[in-house]
Amino acid sequence: MARTSKGIEVEGIVVECLRNATFTVELQNGHKVLAHISGKIRKNYIKILPYDRVLVELSSYDLTRGRILFRYRT
Amino acid sequence: MNTVHFTAGMGEHPAMVTRVAEQQWHALADDQVVGRGDVLCRPDGRIFLSIDSWHGAVFDRLADAMLADLPRPLYTVVDEADRDLTSSWERVGFTIRRREWEYVVPTDPRVTGLDAGQPPSGVTIVPAGEAEEGPLRALDRAIREEVEATVGWQAMPAEVLPRPHGTTVLYPSKYAVAAQADQYVGLVRVAPLTRQPRIGLIAVRADQHRRGIARALLAHVLGSLHHSGTETASAEVNESNEAATALFEGVGAQRAGSNLELVCR
Repeated sequence: MARTSKGIEVEGIVVECLRNATFTVELQNGHKVLAHISGKIRKNYIKILPYDRVLVELSSYDLTRGRILFRYRT
Repeated sequence: MNTVHFTAGMGEHPAMVTRVAEQQWHALADDQVVGRGDVLCRPDGRIFLSIDSWHGAVFDRLADAMLADLPRPLYTVVDEADRDLTSSWERVGFTIRRREWEYVVPTDPRVTGLDAGQPPSGVTIVPAGEAEEGPLRALDRAIREEVEATVGWQAMPAEVLPRPHGTTVLYPSKYAVAAQADQYVGLVRVAPLTRQPRIGLIAVRADQHRRGIARALLAHVLGSLHHSGTETASAEVNESNEAATALFEGVGAQRAGSNLELVCR
């Protein structure tokens, strides 16, 4: 887990797509967070599906919430 | 570029918005980036914004700074199910311009009813990778001109926006086409994504509409996907495109979500 000027970023796997445009992501340490997708991903029409490996920025205000910054190629 | 816009109090989280690059803004609090704004200029010249923040107040400050710096109209895209984000954009002056449905399209002919789908008389389907590049580019150019002269590109998904002058299809191997006599009259492009292939574009020349060519192209690509073991594909359809909506819903496609394009004039 790395802390950068952009926040806390960590890799994870999408385990569930929820109805309200959010996703459950299981992080490398086994914790699960509720994440939505970043504006840049949405703007570029990048789809997020279960089993995708993603980079998540965790909220410094609430570590159970995050934002998906990047979807790795499978 | 390092234009400081203003410092604004937000309760316990004062933030300063700074334009850190031509197309990027940061909101900083205690030397931490607490929000980001980005700009994307599409090939048609339209400017699309995105903002990521953890607080509504930071979102508003970033939006104010970006709107102050950029020429109108400005656009953004949101998932319609994300009501908080949609409300945030509406709060700073954006309104809904159009809606795009996301479809999950089955490939099984027993579900789609396309097992007996034959192209109309005189038309043959050329599989992906076998189309000749010259006629394919000519068809792409003709269809783009027809769209430009009718509904316009701004009603189209991002994937089919106009290319820089003179360029047409980028990856000919991704297109299957409908051929008639010595020319191509329809095309379909499928992005062969491992997780879920995406039908990025399906189009037929205006003078060949209502002959079942699009349905035949769809039957071909869905049949090929089914044959290779893929159960579903995805597609996006503009809400106002009744023909495309009927085509996809007619083969059993299900709406899985929707995106809104918002505009601030």
